[in-house]
Amino acid sequence: MSSISPVHGAKSKVFHNNDECPVYKKAKKTTLIAGTTKNLCQKCARLNEPGIKLTPENRRNLYASAKYLDTDAKKKFGLQIPFEIYLQDPQVAFDNPTLGFDEAFYVNWEPGITDGPTSARFTVVDYNGDAETLGTPASWDSKSSQFLYNGLPINHSAAANKDHFQFHQVNVWVVLQRALMQVEDSLCLGRHVPWGFPGNRLIVVPHAGYGQNAFYDRESKSLQFYYFDSGGHRIYTCLSSDIINHEFGHAILDGIRPYFYESTLVETAAFHEFTGDLTAILMVMRNNKFRKGLAEGTNRDLKAASALNSIAEQFGSMIDEKPYLRTAVNNLTMEKVTDEDGPHTMSEVLTGTMFDILDRFARSYYRDRKKTWPQTLFFTIQKMQQLAFQALDFLPPVDATFNDYARAVLRSFELANPVDPHHYYNIILEAFHKRGILTGRQESELRKRVDLRNTTQPDIRYSVNDIGRSRATAYMFLNDNRRKFNIPANQDFEVVDLYDAQKCTADGRLLPKQTILQYLWKEEVLLKGKRFGEFDGELTAISCGGTIVFDENNVILFWAHKPGTQGDEDNGNRNGILRRNKFLEKLTHRIKSGHIGAIIGSGKGLLGTMIPQMTVERKSGRLDFRLAPHFKLNDDIENNFKSNRKWEISS
Amino acid sequence: MGNQLLIRSYNVGCGDCFYIRIPNGASKDFHILIDCGTKDDPDVLEQAIAHLRDNELPKDASGPNKRLDLVVATHRHEDHIKGFDPKYFKGISVKNIWITAAMNSKHEQAKKSLALHAMAEQEMRSLASSGLSLSPELRGLVGLYGIDNKKATDALTTGTLGATKVKPKFVHAGQTSGKLGVKIKNTKITVLAPELDIDGYYLGKELDATIRGMQQGRVNFNKVTGSNTPLQPLNISPAEFRTLQSRMISNGLAFAVDDSSIQNNVSAVLLIEWEGRRLLFVGDAEWNNGYAEGKKNCSWNVMWEKRQKHLTSPLDFLKIGHHGSHNATPWDREAGPDEGVNQILNAILPLPAGNKKPTAQCIISTKRKQYDTIPDAELLAELGQRVRNTRNYQQHLKNLDSSFKPANDVFNYSVIKEYSKQPSPREVGDKGWLTKDQPFRTDLESSGRGSAEWNGKVEFVEVNLKPNTD
Repeated sequence: MSSISPVHGAKSKVFHNNDECPVYKKAKKTTLIAGTTKNLCQKCARLNEPGIKLTPENRRNLYASAKYLDTDAKKKFGLQIPFEIYLQDPQVAFDNPTLGFDEAFYVNWEPGITDGPTSARFTVVDYNGDAETLGTPASWDSKSSQFLYNGLPINHSAAANKDHFQFHQVNVWVVLQRALMQVEDSLCLGRHVPWGFPGNRLIVVPHAGYGQNAFYDRESKSLQFYYFDSGGHRIYTCLSSDIINHEFGHAILDGIRPYFYESTLVETAAFHEFTGDLTAILMVMRNNKFRKGLAEGTNRDLKAASALNSIAEQFGSMIDEKPYLRTAVNNLTMEKVTDEDGPHTMSEVLTGTMFDILDRFARSYYRDRKKTWPQTLFFTIQKMQQLAFQALDFLPPVDATFNDYARAVLRSFELANPVDPHHYYNIILEAFHKRGILTGRQESELRKRVDLRNTTQPDIRYSVNDIGRSRATAYMFLNDNRRKFNIPANQDFEVVDLYDAQKCTADGRLLPKQTILQYLWKEEVLLKGKRFGEFDGELTAISCGGTIVFDENNVILFWAHKPGTQGDEDNGNRNGILRRNKFLEKLTHRIKSGHIGAIIGSGKGLLGTMIPQMTVERKSGRLDFRLAPHFKLNDDIENNFKSNRKWEISS
Repeated sequence: MGNQLLIRSYNVGCGDCFYIRIPNGASKDFHILIDCGTKDDPDVLEQAIAHLRDNELPKDASGPNKRLDLVVATHRHEDHIKGFDPKYFKGISVKNIWITAAMNSKHEQAKKSLALHAMAEQEMRSLASSGLSLSPELRGLVGLYGIDNKKATDALTTGTLGATKVKPKFVHAGQTSGKLGVKIKNTKITVLAPELDIDGYYLGKELDATIRGMQQGRVNFNKVTGSNTPLQPLNISPAEFRTLQSRMISNGLAFAVDDSSIQNNVSAVLLIEWEGRRLLFVGDAEWNNGYAEGKKNCSWNVMWEKRQKHLTSPLDFLKIGHHGSHNATPWDREAGPDEGVNQILNAILPLPAGNKKPTAQCIISTKRKQYDTIPDAELLAELGQRVRNTRNYQQHLKNLDSSFKPANDVFNYSVIKEYSKQPSPREVGDKGWLTKDQPFRTDLESSGRGSAEWNGKVEFVEVNLKPNTD
């Protein structure tokens, strides 16, 4: 741990030079040898640090207490293990060696890691649909805490062989493990987050077949990554952390808000896209190397008089027009985009807003706190991550709009920053208003901060300890307070989610525990009229419900709800009726634009071309609409497909 | 009738079976059969051929059989070739067989499309034998690759269709009857499609790249899978694995869809010029607006580019392609009247000027309710303005059967669904369009009105052409 003279010059040479490292040479035959760190490069020294030797049993015991240890300690005790993976993807690594490959990407060790790789929440299945065969899985060696193939460690030298499929398996698994670790961390959601399907292991398919595709599919509980040829190169989407993180973002949102997939609102589909992009962007910006490059490009050196790039602009130039990181550099507002533009374009309004906030935060922070620019970026990106993710818990259970998210962000920020001396709250408010996500009137209203005494509080109080214990008790609470929460008297409803979250702030302060409750019911509606096309005369349902956030003192911190046409008689059910009308209008538009169709397929696979945006099923006499997975990376194909022409076979 | 040319479309359900008789003093008449296929039970074809043999074909001079001068197989889909079964052609001596060059397994310039077809066939056969339940769309697709087709393909390509063996000719654009060794009095047949370079014109660069990429990927992947790697992953359950496989993107399925479109577009297209009359038989040739961007190579677009001189003057007869599907007749209802492919339709079937009546004729061999979108009712109404052999079918059917109620008998979504001003899609299609003149169509001419069950009778629709004395 002390002074190691780096023979390989880890600073001058980028990659671990296997040929010269005596440790690695030996490792080819056996596992790494413990002992001296003399003459080893930094990397080997780190892997081989003497001093703390744990037996497997020690390690397991310590694992149980891992949440009390800081990152350095975890690394020292082997509770976090390093992997060598591509920071972004092989092309970036090729163009930019210092930036491209991360030799020390740490993920949590788990006692149950096995071949695949397989861990608690992910399992890699290397099935190729074109070849209809399975690739040999990477094999876990618990002694050395690394994956092996044919007895050899899978690491960067494996990566040099582009078709080293076991390296791909490890690469995608590591990126996902780390992303989940970040999302579940108290800086973000502060709890273990479920998936949106029954079960807890997401199946990851790194070489699903040939095609320009990558997608999350709830039905098969999978993330599928395809490969394609472009410009003479074979591109493996499973090696692109941006693509991996984007699809992972969809999976996470589907886990915490599974009913978003049933929304017919283009805006909710756009929110899904935004979450994917946000995850990809934040994950890459959390990386030290990337952020360093970002800092240099944005260059807030007071002494330099040169032109300064906004963070968004610099980011945009570094990601080089990748389709899965929607451009942050845009001036789109809600007025400028319509449903016709599609969810991807619409999502850019929200992505742009978050970059606006980041940019202004950073500039204010830099000015107010007098830190260096790289330090500023580090802090504000963390703050952004906290803000953006913690707000997700404050969304309603259904039909989320950008407006809902703006309110969630503001409230979430308020709770984490009750004292806000530099008025960052106003920065957020102005950013959302400027993009048309909040109206002028809403902006003025929200400028007045929330007085907790005036928030919605129930008529009949229950202890949050009881509410949080079981859904049955939570139901009793809601049932006793139907009027308050606009739940119709004659309507049965379901408590669809109930959990605690232990969050913290970007500077490490623990926030008071939150208990979050979601309830839902469906209101049937008859589609009557020619405007509903082939669905004229059929029944469907509008999902209604709400999210309530409690603190430890039984205070309701936030309530976001989507009303039905009953339950708010005091106000003439005005909001519910407006909502129903909007629902019908949006559905009409979907039908008219040919967005609703069928996915053609069989037990042997799906037809990936001509995918509609939404599918429909008839269940219990009702139409059930659902977002279809977006197979193609290039969203142009999606937006241009109009299923006015029902799928025809040329026969 | 004497000096008139006869075109007869047998009602074979959703399929083509066209008989043409070019007159030359009875015993020397020239008898042609273009396609013989159906999506339905082949019994209907057996009966049609029997009818043809017993009622129309002359005795063959050199034997006990009847003589059929020319058989043409436009492309390999079942609704065009299923009936080319030697069993049905017993007692018929076939003198010439023309087959689209795309079905020549030795054709150098069709290697890639033949390989694609083989891949698609393998995929579809495997799907058919998998026992998996298939949606109607998939069933239709799988049916195109049925075993029956192989029998017909073999009979055609080995020339063993009829009672006596002949050497078939694989035809391509630019060839003429003379060059193909067929002499017919006062008649010239020109092949307008497919172009000889099948791969070059009809495969497309994108598909080519995808096929290559996919094959390469397969090879790479197979290299690294161990020989003892199990077919069931060890880290997920069999049920999870089955679900996963059903939700992965199938290139095989995509290729089958591509291939079936390519097969349509390599249909042999024949222009028959007889006594100043022009007749066009287009198989299932398609058009597409993506052609300009090099995206989709469709036959009509290629013909207009390469064989335009044959298409710039009006036809006397057009065999409507692909059973009246919207993409087999060059009419783009979303484009301006002289834009895009509408130029082609205006050239071959112009709208008559002023109060003049149209003089051309056409026939649609089709069956309603087979597919939602075939035939395209709006297209038929448009054609009804450009040809003279039309009917107002609503009136016609009412006259035949006073209990006929269009409201109960409607079906068939039109391809484009119109909403606010038009009736709902369930009413669009038959009902709205039946009151407009439509060209003769085999299904509605049939006494069964194109119902799902074949009524067991041999039925057909005919038109006659007189020599052009203008």
